[in-house]
Amino acid sequence: MPEGGASNPLLDGLRIEPAPAPATLVIFGASGDLTRRKLLPAVYHLARGQRLPAQFHVVGVARTPMTDDQFRQQFHDSLAEFAGLKKPDDVSTALARELSYLSGEMDDPALYERIAAVVKEREDGGALFYLAIPPTVYGTVVERLSAASLTRPPSETGWRRIIVEKPFGTDVESARALNRQIHAHFDESQVFRIDHYLGKETVQNLLVFRFANGMFEPVWNRRYIDHVQITAAETVGVERRASYYEGAGALRDMVQNHLMQLLALVAMEPPTAFSAESVRDRKHDVLMSIQPLLNGGNANIVRAQYDAGWVNGSEVPAYRTEEGVDPRSTTETFVALRLSLDSWRWAGVPFYLRTGKRLPKRTTEIAIQFRKPPLHIFKRVSPTHVAPNLLIVNVQPDEGISVRFEAKLPGTRMQLAPVMMNFRYGGAFGMAVPEAYETLLFDAMLGDPALFARHDFVEDSWALITPVHQAWAASAAAALPLYEAGEWGPAEADALMAADGRRWRTL
Amino acid sequence: MNAFIATVIVIGNRARVDEAADALDALGDRGAVRRVLISEGTKTTAAPDEQDTTIRIDGLSPQYVDNAVAWLRLSSLPAVVWWRGGPVDALNRLAHLADRLVLDTDPPEEMWGRAPALFDETALTDLRWSALTCWRSALAHLVDLPQVRAGLSSLRRLEILGPDRASSRLFAGWLRSSLAGITELDVSIGDAPARGRAPLTHVRLSGSGPGLTLEVQKAHACLEASVDGANGARMVPLGDGSLASRFVEDIGVRSRDAAFERALVAAMEMGA
Repeated sequence: MPEGGASNPLLDGLRIEPAPAPATLVIFGASGDLTRRKLLPAVYHLARGQRLPAQFHVVGVARTPMTDDQFRQQFHDSLAEFAGLKKPDDVSTALARELSYLSGEMDDPALYERIAAVVKEREDGGALFYLAIPPTVYGTVVERLSAASLTRPPSETGWRRIIVEKPFGTDVESARALNRQIHAHFDESQVFRIDHYLGKETVQNLLVFRFANGMFEPVWNRRYIDHVQITAAETVGVERRASYYEGAGALRDMVQNHLMQLLALVAMEPPTAFSAESVRDRKHDVLMSIQPLLNGGNANIVRAQYDAGWVNGSEVPAYRTEEGVDPRSTTETFVALRLSLDSWRWAGVPFYLRTGKRLPKRTTEIAIQFRKPPLHIFKRVSPTHVAPNLLIVNVQPDEGISVRFEAKLPGTRMQLAPVMMNFRYGGAFGMAVPEAYETLLFDAMLGDPALFARHDFVEDSWALITPVHQAWAASAAAALPLYEAGEWGPAEADALMAADGRRWRTL
Repeated sequence: MNAFIATVIVIGNRARVDEAADALDALGDRGAVRRVLISEGTKTTAAPDEQDTTIRIDGLSPQYVDNAVAWLRLSSLPAVVWWRGGPVDALNRLAHLADRLVLDTDPPEEMWGRAPALFDETALTDLRWSALTCWRSALAHLVDLPQVRAGLSSLRRLEILGPDRASSRLFAGWLRSSLAGITELDVSIGDAPARGRAPLTHVRLSGSGPGLTLEVQKAHACLEASVDGANGARMVPLGDGSLASRFVEDIGVRSRDAAFERALVAAMEMGA
């Protein structure tokens, strides 16, 4: 075995993932909500799971003045609040020593010189820049990083990568402009556009489920599948995100990214190999096969906004009376769509997507409904309605897969009843399911882009929905239906399905 | 209907089978397994007592254990045999029925001596091996550092202290076999009082270059991995070290573990 070579003789047989090279994680927006809720807990869990490199350092960067010790305290507080670690343990204490903080204006070149000084202490290692900041500042940060020579590694073993949070643009033009801005300083291979849905086990498992099992793929097409429903429901309202959400709405906030990614994973053709490029090519093919949403006018899309109502036993206000929301706002908090794919596999199989805030429960699922048997031979002996087979991929909160099929009720009579066969990630493998941000941070440190959105997917998904926004902008505010908070959207969403003789699943 | 990932067959004397059953209970939702508990005795016929997902056979003569396992295993689920004691001959007859055979005997030497003959029959491991995982990965992470990797051939001495000599031997066997061709280690194994449930308490690799140290921390919750002269030590959680936690690591594994097989052979070559 070559000494000092690429291989580590002690890793052989260890059931642990390869560890990234020594790395510095630079978080822009370190005093923000995302850092506290997701990023710092994810770093801690990676440390606990021994998946961080032996030399690892976190640099928090934000405008808020803070000392290193205050940032470390924020780290411990965030673990207490969001990772269930009520008091620091040895791992968090050791990790806290590797945290430091730099405050400054995002356009101040001096800030980047200080960042460069920290990063250059580990020249052989990598630097991962995480942009947990408003997209309006992305361009400035990228330019300043480049000016400080932070976008190119100084040695062959080093690396420089950037993670970009959503929203990645607000329409097709802004997305292209942002990509141009980033590509001026980073190669595409260095850019990791995060969509946390892709880090969820069930979403990753969709590829395994479809392409590592011989029994599902043969029926995964228009001959056997009647339609697909994808639902992403939230119980929360706009909360403290009104300033962002007012300009975004459900179509931009959820459909352009999360739901399009789920749709692509369900509908994609088999990749030639489990490689980032092959998988992302096939996903992009799906996007290109979707017919324009405005074909046939507005018949394929319903938007609505929540009115006052009750959710989880609490009375909640109407969207227009939420803090920071324009009382005459026409921002949609619910959207339902019917998509048609121009492909041999999916011709004639509608994909129904819905997402909304203030719905009765928090759940994200993909439901694949199969066609009924061609003949109901039990009609005379069992008058019971035969429910079609259903394959349900639960994305959150209870990750897993369920299959619904008909079974005979025990007894002397022939009666049918639907039963569910359930697989749950939480219990099946005797191990905890990692948080999506944990998986994605780790993959970015390893340089594996498979679970990140490529520039063309982002741009073309915007190209799909931008005409809808333009049409909405041209239409009157009166056209926006309301739905009572705590209901499954407006009657128009039901009508969208009913027009095809179908209905939404009751979740 | 829930998904099971394995049939776990526990074999040993009644007390050790009960201890394993308690450990499987402690797994709760983490242990989605079908259980077969067989305690050894003198009975020649198996009278299984089946409750929910557990089948228990008490006092079965060892010569019929393979018979019972052949009857109770399911072809649709991987069979993991958790061997907690019994005659070696019975173990030999069981090997071809197990997708994975987890040895868990004390002392282990008699079983270890026979184990290499079973390597081609089944995916064999020892529960001590999974307890060493965090020690192995902590050391492996240190070797990821370029300066440590470059100095591997300068390492000459390995000192291990711990409450369980068999674990120390297995760890030493792993290091010697992993570094074969790079360096040959002089091994020194000593006894030390237990710190929590950790199988080892102190490991030191040294030579002409920077040495590497693994040490259980005072609170016994973590081990500290450090390189001489390098800034900062790495803290690695030891886990709770319970029987349940150690076994759960083995449930999901089906394949042969060449690193374990080499480590075991090297440990046996080193002698007691």
